[in-house]
Amino acid sequence: MSTPSTNPLTAGTSRLIPLNHALPWIIAAVVLLLLPVIFESRGALTIMNQMAITIVFALAYNMLLGQGGMLSFGHAVYMGLGGFFSMHVLNWMSDDPWLPLPVLPIFGGFFGLLFAFLIGWFSTRRAGTTFAMISLGVGQLVASMSIIIVTFFGGEEGISGDRTEMLPFFGWDFGQQQEVYYLTSVWLLIAALGMYLYSRTPMGRLANAVRDNEERAEFLGYSQRNVRWISFCASGFFAGIAGALFAINFEILTGENLNLATSGQILLVTFLGGVGFFIGPIIGAIVFTLLQTVLSLHSEIWALYVGILFVATVMFFPFGLTGLLALHVLPWKLGKIGYLVKPYAKMAIPGLVFVLSSAAVLEILFHARHAGRGDNEMTIYWWLTFDSHSPLPMIIGLVLAGVSAYALVKLVPGLKAAWDEATKMGEAGK
Amino acid sequence: MTAAAIELRNLNKSFGLAKIIQDVNLEIKKGERHAIIGPNGAGKSTLFNLITGKYAPTTGQVLLHGQDVSGKKPFEINRMGLSRSFQITNIFHRMTVFENVRCGLLWSMGYKYSFWTMVNRQKELTRRTDEILEQINLTKRRDMLAGALAYAEQRALEIGITIAGGADIIMLDEPCAGMSMSETDLIVDLIRKVTESKTLVVVEHDMGVIFDLADRISVLVYGEIIETDTPERVRASKAVQEAYLGTTLEEAS
Repeated sequence: MSTPSTNPLTAGTSRLIPLNHALPWIIAAVVLLLLPVIFESRGALTIMNQMAITIVFALAYNMLLGQGGMLSFGHAVYMGLGGFFSMHVLNWMSDDPWLPLPVLPIFGGFFGLLFAFLIGWFSTRRAGTTFAMISLGVGQLVASMSIIIVTFFGGEEGISGDRTEMLPFFGWDFGQQQEVYYLTSVWLLIAALGMYLYSRTPMGRLANAVRDNEERAEFLGYSQRNVRWISFCASGFFAGIAGALFAINFEILTGENLNLATSGQILLVTFLGGVGFFIGPIIGAIVFTLLQTVLSLHSEIWALYVGILFVATVMFFPFGLTGLLALHVLPWKLGKIGYLVKPYAKMAIPGLVFVLSSAAVLEILFHARHAGRGDNEMTIYWWLTFDSHSPLPMIIGLVLAGVSAYALVKLVPGLKAAWDEATKMGEAGK
Repeated sequence: MTAAAIELRNLNKSFGLAKIIQDVNLEIKKGERHAIIGPNGAGKSTLFNLITGKYAPTTGQVLLHGQDVSGKKPFEINRMGLSRSFQITNIFHRMTVFENVRCGLLWSMGYKYSFWTMVNRQKELTRRTDEILEQINLTKRRDMLAGALAYAEQRALEIGITIAGGADIIMLDEPCAGMSMSETDLIVDLIRKVTESKTLVVVEHDMGVIFDLADRISVLVYGEIIETDTPERVRASKAVQEAYLGTTLEEAS
């Protein structure tokens, strides 16, 4: 299923999803406006804000990875530094404020840009492994600085501030979570639109050109290094905006905002969503934030599931979740999407059983090893309660997982056949 | 007296102990169609890469329009009006045919590293890109991914990208490599058409192509130019026949 995919996928890469009309942006704005009406709890608003921040960061990251072909292991540096600097601006202004809070992300952006400019000067000279290694080194360097330069980074506790101390903005002092939500959403739209438009400029196209073939670009009059450097600066700018939004939302920044775990996470988010598409990182950020926030409420080993999902994506759908969706564009256009409904429906139940039973096995294993002494009773899926130390639930879980996996494997040829049928270009001029 | 389009002075290139190019002197006049031939491993590609800035010479000089460009980077040399194609197809695979050609136009039309203009809205840029697509007969393939083109079409696109920027020195590295007879004829016509009134330097294996296209031919053997003359005289030269052409000359002509 993953191999006969080249057509719709590559078509998507070149056009970066036909978003050339304003409609998707208007829809996005309306959705952002209405979301807090549907999800009005404080917790939901926090999750949505976190999602927005991750989207901006992931889009900025994809300016490097997807559009420029640069694999960075240290991009948290630019978001983090943008955040730290914004926090200092906030604190510096708190005594005698002369600017309202919504302009703060501009400061974050310019600080991210400044650092990307300085570090990009040497890190973008070469692409490929050299760039990746330098980004890793710089990431480690800046992360360790956060413990050394205490006046700026605040040491272990980090630095914090109070967002309500800046000038009120049309009567809003941003004490309410909802006010912060709208601030974040507006910045999300501005940043996403900015990055989208950037990809349509000569610079955006040159980043693609250098990604595809740096030598050729060089023989067309462009310094590959300068193209990478400018892309890097632009990416640093938007990452800095994400950092400032983080500062506004959480009112605290620590060394964690700069470290390799955060850098690795954004790589994971972006790849999960799909690097070849403009909306890829958006989808990745939404899915990841949901897993991180909602799944983590229900399972202590949520990170394991994210890891499995990531590995599975890399192995089976190298174009990410968006790539998986984009695969269906061709059958849809050919009017043959119906061919796929039946095989998908057939696979739905074994698929669900497989996911639930294998997750149950992992949960039982985890509970049996980590629950307190004598605390043998566990509950999964809200109503299933049993003794995690008895072998029976484990055996049932393993059998269910095995049987459903077998059923899935048996159903694969049927899906493949349906897929071939659905993607066949009409031979008789259909 | 106007300076030659390309002038090589005592050019040498060694990789470690291996001397690949030895004391090459060559003058290619403006508007000339010049071919470089030679057996495999003679250093044709290295010479090509020295002129275009991919390699820096070990000693000696490369002059473009009388200006020394030795050691300059490829993009700097390109900005001085020299454009090249590649022996192994070197296009932007994941971009459309249209975008490929447009990339070749950006610098020459003064866009530099612009990130404040929308590239799709540049009417003149689009018009000229389409014009070049028309010239290389790829208008039908405009919105296809370059990586999905047939081989001969990719070769044509390669030439399209090369000439797009309007460089007055065009260097083509084996433009007909791996093509059938009929495809070769088409591409030679194309080359003749798009390089009109320009200086052309072409490295080619196919003798028929060379004798037909070139005003003058240089024969490179073991890193040295043993002869530079008109096709007829090169064909007649004893030294050339011994060193390189041998019996294949008769087959080729």
